[in-house]
Amino acid sequence: MKTCKIEEIRLKGTPISRGVAIGTPFFITAQEDVIPEFTVGLEGVEEELLRYRRALGRSFEDVLKLQGMLEKEDFSDGISLLDAQLQMMRDPVMTTQIEAEIASSQKNAEAIFQKHIFRYQKSFQSLQDPFFRERFKDLQEVFKRIMSYLCAREGTSLAHIPSHAILIAHELGVTDIVEANMRGVIAILTKSGSHTSHAAIMAKAKGIPFVSNIDPEQLKSLMQHSDVIVDGRTGEVILNPGPDTLLKYRNIQKTVQLHSSSLKLLGGLKPETVDGYAVRLSANIAMPHEIDLVHQHHAYGVGLFRSEYLFSSRETCPLEEEQFSVYQAMALKMKELPLVIRVFDLGGDKNFLGYTGEVEQNPSLGCRSIRFLLKEREIFKAQLRAILRASVYGNISILLPLISSLTELLEAKALINEMKKELSQNQIPFSNQVRVGCMIEVPAAALIADLLAQECDFFSIGTNDLTQYTLAVDRNNQAVSFLHTPTHPSVIRLLKLITKEAHNYGIPVSICGEIAADPRFTPLLLGLGIHELSVSACHIPAVKNVIRRMNFAEAKRLTQYVLTLKTSEEVLAALSHQYLKIVPDDCLYNCEVTRS
Amino acid sequence: MGKLVQKVQVKNMMGLHTRPATKIVKLLQNCKSEVSFTCRQETINAKSILSILMLAAARNSKITITVEGEDAADVMKNLVASFENEFGE
Repeated sequence: MKTCKIEEIRLKGTPISRGVAIGTPFFITAQEDVIPEFTVGLEGVEEELLRYRRALGRSFEDVLKLQGMLEKEDFSDGISLLDAQLQMMRDPVMTTQIEAEIASSQKNAEAIFQKHIFRYQKSFQSLQDPFFRERFKDLQEVFKRIMSYLCAREGTSLAHIPSHAILIAHELGVTDIVEANMRGVIAILTKSGSHTSHAAIMAKAKGIPFVSNIDPEQLKSLMQHSDVIVDGRTGEVILNPGPDTLLKYRNIQKTVQLHSSSLKLLGGLKPETVDGYAVRLSANIAMPHEIDLVHQHHAYGVGLFRSEYLFSSRETCPLEEEQFSVYQAMALKMKELPLVIRVFDLGGDKNFLGYTGEVEQNPSLGCRSIRFLLKEREIFKAQLRAILRASVYGNISILLPLISSLTELLEAKALINEMKKELSQNQIPFSNQVRVGCMIEVPAAALIADLLAQECDFFSIGTNDLTQYTLAVDRNNQAVSFLHTPTHPSVIRLLKLITKEAHNYGIPVSICGEIAADPRFTPLLLGLGIHELSVSACHIPAVKNVIRRMNFAEAKRLTQYVLTLKTSEEVLAALSHQYLKIVPDDCLYNCEVTRS
Repeated sequence: MGKLVQKVQVKNMMGLHTRPATKIVKLLQNCKSEVSFTCRQETINAKSILSILMLAAARNSKITITVEGEDAADVMKNLVASFENEFGE
């Protein structure tokens, strides 16, 4: 009899965080399974009560531990969310009712527990106010965790995940990523999840390979043995890998390790090309504690602080005082190094506070970012005042996102001046050195770069949005995401135009989009005349490495050549080719390279 | 010792949402008195975070606090102060 041959299957998802992993998958199921219900009898009641309390206790410990992790990350909003979860676990009303019903019905704990959760769900759903209706979500998290202990059944929360597993879920939140990291997860696959989600940024910072647009059910149905390979470089997920493929990927892993340990040696060396061209290499950060990494990597400063992430899981708008104390602490921690605070970049794909109510038909073309701030002026003013007040403690600049017209820039500047006046009148100190920069991420802004350059102190190019708006491509839409190519000649031409105008008017220009962190782009960006690259701290070594190995004069020649190319593919090929020449041993970016 | 009743108003922007509710139950964690909130003729145990959330008390809601027990005076004082300072938000 012929045995059925196990077939190697390759699924293609969207690559979110680079890296390669081989491991056993662990599924987190989204829908609740049917919970068994049975009678335990009078003699079984004691045992059921004990099981319920034990599950509560273990969940409580879990959340406490998780809170400890978040404390290290300085993630105060996550901590307070977990605080609420802890209080729900010890809610006297819920506990009393559940325990009473276990005793009176003589049924198993999980059945009664679920019944009560359904009752809570119904009560919450009947609330008039949508804001309070939404609060059920927090309880649901608690429910999942307790239930996973109660059923001793895997797959409803991260509680049972073994270390070195590949985590597969429909969607993950930020605390999930922290917990996954704490439990030693080696890769993450999700059905939904965008590049810009907080979870994605967290996974990148932690260096966990992450691929989205993978259907867990499909994956489960196709899997015939337990090894799964995740290639976070290409977005490929390989099921049932044959011995040759496994060997190939083990080699890639080895090469990646070798390369990354060689990067560690770069430490305090300067980002300077072979022919002596010095580059400002800064860090993008989302959380204040990441400033430690800025010092660790000897970065030039913080080129982009995404201030909105500080408050992303909040329900209310942070007041001026609270913001001030955060910015002040950050400024002090920076020790005079530049700190660029981008004002709240809200809306679009980032839901915020209570402002999730109105569903826009086309959010990326809607009321987001600077448009939102100029509409909700009290929020904007409070943030500006907080930043200005903190400015006496360090070297702070303000960055305005999504500027698309001179009017917007002038309006924002007028508000900044108004706030300065207010502070002076109240004799509250602020620095007069606060520079105001413009994000260039809309083609309209790029095309009037000359006008904007005359009215601001620096440019910061956001290439992710610039690419999306120039090419009219939503990169989180799987059907068209392959068209989201920052190597498109149109994008390169805009970059050239922006840097030319910045030079004409003598203001510095930096790039804080993802291409700044992709070392294949570095020679082109420097060749175009970009002064500063701002990347997540974890990418600093790779970018510094290519800078230290390249030649600036050669980069200028490459740039001239790239400007003559006609397609995205040609540009990408030219950049990859050049990178392979400069850094032949980096197989995170040179996908073909493996050391045999 | 005794029973105290006092009316307060929810002043903070988003009402008694998760954060204030967490603060309230933490504040009441070690108190010996029975504490209840009454809002729109509904009375709940104020030591239960889920019950507070389900009150769905938005900004400007009026809440009647009832405290009964040996430490009633202190508990009432602290609770009213918390409502007053908008739970530190």
